[in-house]
Amino acid sequence: MRERFATGFDPFVLPFLIGMVFVLGYCFFGIFRILYQLPKDDRRRFLVSLITPRTALKNVWDIFCNCLLHVKLWKRNKLLGFMHSSIAFGWFMIILLGHLEVFIYCPERVHLFYYPIFFNYFVAENESTIGGAVLFFLMDFFLLLILTGIGLAIVKRVRSRFFGMRRTTRPSLLDRVGLYSLWAIFPLRLLAESFTAHISGGSFLTIPANWVFRQFLGNDLNLLPTWWAYSIVLGVFMVVLPFTRYMHIPAEMMLIPMRNAGLRIRHPRKGFAKVQVLSCPGCGVCIDACPMSAQKVNIKDCTVYLNRQIRRGNEKRIEEISDKCLLCGKCEAVCQVGVEGPRMRVAQRSARRYGLTPDFAAIDTAPLSRAASAAFSGAAGATGAAGAAGAAAGAAGVAGAAGAAGASGASGVAGAAGGAGVAAGAAGVAGAAGAAGAAGAAGAAAAGVAGASKVAFFSGCMTRLTPSVGKAVCSLLDKAGADYVWLDREEGLCCGRPLLTAGRIDAAISLIRKNEEVILGSGADTLVLSCPICYKMFSERYALPGVRVVSYADYFDEFVQQGRLRFEKSDICYVYHDPCELGRGCGIYESPRRLLGQAAGIAEAEKNREESVCCGGSLGSLTLDFAHREVITRKSLENLYSSRADAIATACPLCLSTFRRYSDRPVRDLAEILDASCRL
Amino acid sequence: MENKNVLVIGGGIAGMEAARRLLQLGCEPVIVEQSDHLGGHVAGWHKLFPDMMSAPELVEQMAAGLDGVTVYYRTRVANMNRLGSGYSVMLSNGMSLQCGAVLISTGFRLFDASKKEEYGYGVYDHVVTNSDLEAWFGGAPDDRIPDSPARVAFVHCVGSRDLKAGNPQCSKVCCMTAIKQAIEMKEKFPSAEVWCFYMDLRLFGKKYEDFYIAAQRDHGIHFVRGRVSEVSEDIHGHVVLKAEDTLAGTPVKLNADLLVLMAGMLCNDDTQGLARMVHADVDSDGFMRSRDNIYRINESNRPGIFFAGACTGTKTVPETVAEARAAALDIYNYLNGRD
Repeated sequence: MRERFATGFDPFVLPFLIGMVFVLGYCFFGIFRILYQLPKDDRRRFLVSLITPRTALKNVWDIFCNCLLHVKLWKRNKLLGFMHSSIAFGWFMIILLGHLEVFIYCPERVHLFYYPIFFNYFVAENESTIGGAVLFFLMDFFLLLILTGIGLAIVKRVRSRFFGMRRTTRPSLLDRVGLYSLWAIFPLRLLAESFTAHISGGSFLTIPANWVFRQFLGNDLNLLPTWWAYSIVLGVFMVVLPFTRYMHIPAEMMLIPMRNAGLRIRHPRKGFAKVQVLSCPGCGVCIDACPMSAQKVNIKDCTVYLNRQIRRGNEKRIEEISDKCLLCGKCEAVCQVGVEGPRMRVAQRSARRYGLTPDFAAIDTAPLSRAASAAFSGAAGATGAAGAAGAAAGAAGVAGAAGAAGASGASGVAGAAGGAGVAAGAAGVAGAAGAAGAAGAAGAAAAGVAGASKVAFFSGCMTRLTPSVGKAVCSLLDKAGADYVWLDREEGLCCGRPLLTAGRIDAAISLIRKNEEVILGSGADTLVLSCPICYKMFSERYALPGVRVVSYADYFDEFVQQGRLRFEKSDICYVYHDPCELGRGCGIYESPRRLLGQAAGIAEAEKNREESVCCGGSLGSLTLDFAHREVITRKSLENLYSSRADAIATACPLCLSTFRRYSDRPVRDLAEILDASCRL
Repeated sequence: MENKNVLVIGGGIAGMEAARRLLQLGCEPVIVEQSDHLGGHVAGWHKLFPDMMSAPELVEQMAAGLDGVTVYYRTRVANMNRLGSGYSVMLSNGMSLQCGAVLISTGFRLFDASKKEEYGYGVYDHVVTNSDLEAWFGGAPDDRIPDSPARVAFVHCVGSRDLKAGNPQCSKVCCMTAIKQAIEMKEKFPSAEVWCFYMDLRLFGKKYEDFYIAAQRDHGIHFVRGRVSEVSEDIHGHVVLKAEDTLAGTPVKLNADLLVLMAGMLCNDDTQGLARMVHADVDSDGFMRSRDNIYRINESNRPGIFFAGACTGTKTVPETVAEARAAALDIYNYLNGRD
C-alpha cells in the first residue's frame, strides 16, 4: 500500500464535497426542524423510543430491511425488488467497504469525507495481497450489482410494463436531473476505477476493463477527467437530492423510527406529516392501486400526487385531491414506505374552518341508555314493572329533551325542535323499550345456556338503510340465544365516522362522547356491530371500559366455534368482497371467509384481502360524484366477476347497497347468507 | 303502398291504438306482444286520473277496434334487419315477416322498489308499490295491506329523479297517481290518516291541480315536502318513517300501517336490444332517441322505424294515445312515399 499524494487532496473532490456538506447540512437542519414541529408529547415519545433498546433494535432492523433490502418490494414484485435493493444495498456496501479500506490502510485519513469514495485514486494497493484481493473483489462485485440495477432502472423508465406496472409517475424536471445523475454515477465510477486499475489495483471488472482501454488509449490523460466527472455527478445528485423524490432516502430513515414510536399525524403539513411527504419515493405503485384510476381524469388524485403537490405548495390541488379521495386505504396497503395516504388527507381536511360547528352536548342520552338497559333479560326478569316504569320515564325524558310538541304522539309525526339529531317521538322510545323487552324475555331462557353476556347490537346508519341486514343479524342473535338489545333500532346517534373523515374532529369527538354515554349506560358488556365503518370507529376512537367491541363476523364466528350456530351448506358459490373498513381498516379477513365457507361455496376474486378494490360507495370522498363512482363500482365488480362465482357476498351495508345498484348477479350481506342457511 | 305490413312491437295502449288507426288507414298491422294479454301496464291498473275512468274498460274499448289485426301473444322479436325498403323480421315463435315499417311501442318497466332498500320493500310486511296497490284496488288480494289501516303513507319519487338509483328523469305520472291513490285510500278508509311525502309536486295536466286541492281540502290528506331518509319496522309491524319536513325545517317521524312507494318508470331493457338490431339510437336516459323532442318525437334516426308511447320517455295515458295516432299517420305517409 502506498498513498499516491502526500497531501491526500485533489481539487476534483470539491464537487462531491460541496454536495455532501450541503445534503448533510440540509438533513440535520431538517431533523431539528421536524423535531421542533412535533407536539411536545410526541417529541418525548419519539426521543424515548430512540433510546429504548427494543424499539431502537427494531428501527435498525426495519431500516436495514426496508431501506436497503426493500423486503416489502421483493414480496410484491421480484424484479422491482431486485432493482431497488441492488442499487440501495450495493451502494451502501460500497460506501461501507470504502470506509473499511480507509480504516485498514490509512486510518489517519478517516476524518476526510471523500477518502472512502475516491480511495482508488488516492491510494495504490495491490490486489495480490489477500486483503486487497478480497476488498477489491467485493467492491467490483457490488459495483456490478448496482450496474445491473441501473440497467433495469433504465429499462423500467422506457418500458414500465416489463415490471408489471401499468402506470408510473412522470418525473418533474429536477427529478430527471436527479435520475440521470444517479444513473451516471456508477458507470462513471466504473470508468474512473478502470482507468486507475493498473496503478491502484482492481478486480474482475476493473482489471479487464483497464486492459481493454489500454489497448487503444496509450496514456493516462483521461484518468483525472473521469474522476472529475464521477465527483461532479455525485455532487449534482446530492445538491438536487433534497428537491427531488430521492429525498425519500434520508426521509425514510426518519419515518421508520417515528412510526415505530407510534406517532400519528397531528398537523396536516408539519412534523410527522412532513416526514411522510418527504418519504414518498414517487414510485407510482399507488396509481395502479387507486380505485379512482379506473378513469383517466382521476389518475392525478392518488397519494403520490398529493405528496408532490404538498411539496410544491399547490393549495388548490391539495384541497381537490384530499377531498376527492375515497379513503379506502389501498394506497397505504401497497405503499412501500408506508405513507398513510388516507390519514394525510383527513389531516388536510381538518385544516378547513367552518362557520358553524355542530354541537351535540345538548343531547340527553339517558333515555336511550335506560331503554336499552331495561330491555336486557336480567332487568326484565327481576322486576318487570320497574323495567316498564323505566321505559315510560325514558319516553318522557326524550320527549322533554327534544322539545317535541305534545300532540306528536297522537298524530304520529314528531317534530323535534332544533334538529338536535334525536328526533324522538315519545311513542317511539317506549315502543323500542317494549320491543326489546319482549325480545329479551324471549331470549331469557336461552340466555341461561349462553352465559350472562349482555349484548348491545349497534346497527348504525348504513345498516338502517339496508334493513335486511339488521333483520338477519337479529335473527342470528336470536337463534344463538344471545341476550341482546338492538341499541339504535328506533333512535340512535351516528358513530361519528362521517364527521371524522370530513376532518371535523372536534365535532366527531363530541358525538363519540354521547354514544359512549348511551353504551356505558345501557349496561351492555358486548357491543356487536354490523357496519365495519362503525366498527372501525368504535374500536379505534371510543373509550368503553368493560365493553367488548366486536364485529358481527368475529362474533358469529365465535358462536360457530361454541356450537351455538350451525349452518347447512348451500350450493351457491359466493365471492367474498373485503370491505375497505373491515379488511384494510380493521384487519378482519379470515372470520367472514370461515363463516361463508360454512354456509356456502366460496371463491376468491383476482384482487382480494389487502388488495381488495373499493366498491366506490365510500363515505370518505367529499366530492366524487355518482357518475365517477359508478365507474369505480363497475370496475370493482369486474374484479369480483373474475372469480366466476354465482353471487357476491360482503360484510358491509354500504358495499352491499353500492354493488346492488349495478351488479348483474345477486349481492348479499354475510348476515343474510348465514341467516338463510342457519340450522338450529 | 308496396308493402302494407306494419310490425307493432308491444301491445300496450300505444301499440293497440296505433294498430287500430293503421287498420283504418288500410295498412296491415301485426302486433307482437310478450305477455298473454293486450293493454300492458294499463290493463293491470284500476282507475285512471283525472276522470277516474276504469282502466280495464278502456283497454276493452280499445281492443274492440282491433278486429282483423293479427296479434302474436307470448312472442318477442328474435331478429330484425333492413331488407330493401322494409324490414325482415324473425319472431320467437318461428314466424317470419316482411314489413314496410316498424313501430316500437315497447313502453316502460316499473322501477324495482326493492332497489331502494332503505324503504324496505320486500323486507317489511306492510310496504307496497303503486302498482301493487292498484292491483289490490282492482280486487287482487294482498296481505300486506291491513284490513283497517289507521295511517297510510305515500312516498313519491321512488327511483325517479334519483341519481343514486341511476334515474335522473321525472316519471311524470306518480305525483298525480299518488294523489289519486291517496284519495281512493281515504275513501275506502275514511278514518285513516293519509300522508304524502314529496319533493316537488308536478301537477301539470288538465284538472290535476283540482285533484290536489280536493285532496287537501275535501279529504284532509297531509302533504309533507321532504324525502324519506329511512324506514324501519317496530315490534308491532308498523312501518316507521323518518324524513325531514323541509318547509317546517324539522325532522319528522311517522308510524304507519301501510307504506306505498311510488315506483317510477324506466325504459324496458329489451327495447335497447331492439334498438341495436336496427341501429336506432338510445338516449342518455336509456329511452329511445327521437329525431327531435319537439316536432319528430315519433320518428327514429332510421327510415321506417317509428316510436309511440313511453319507449321514448315517461308519458301519461292521453299523451301515449295521442302519440300512437300520430305515429299511425306518420307510418301511413311513410309507406305512401310522403314525408
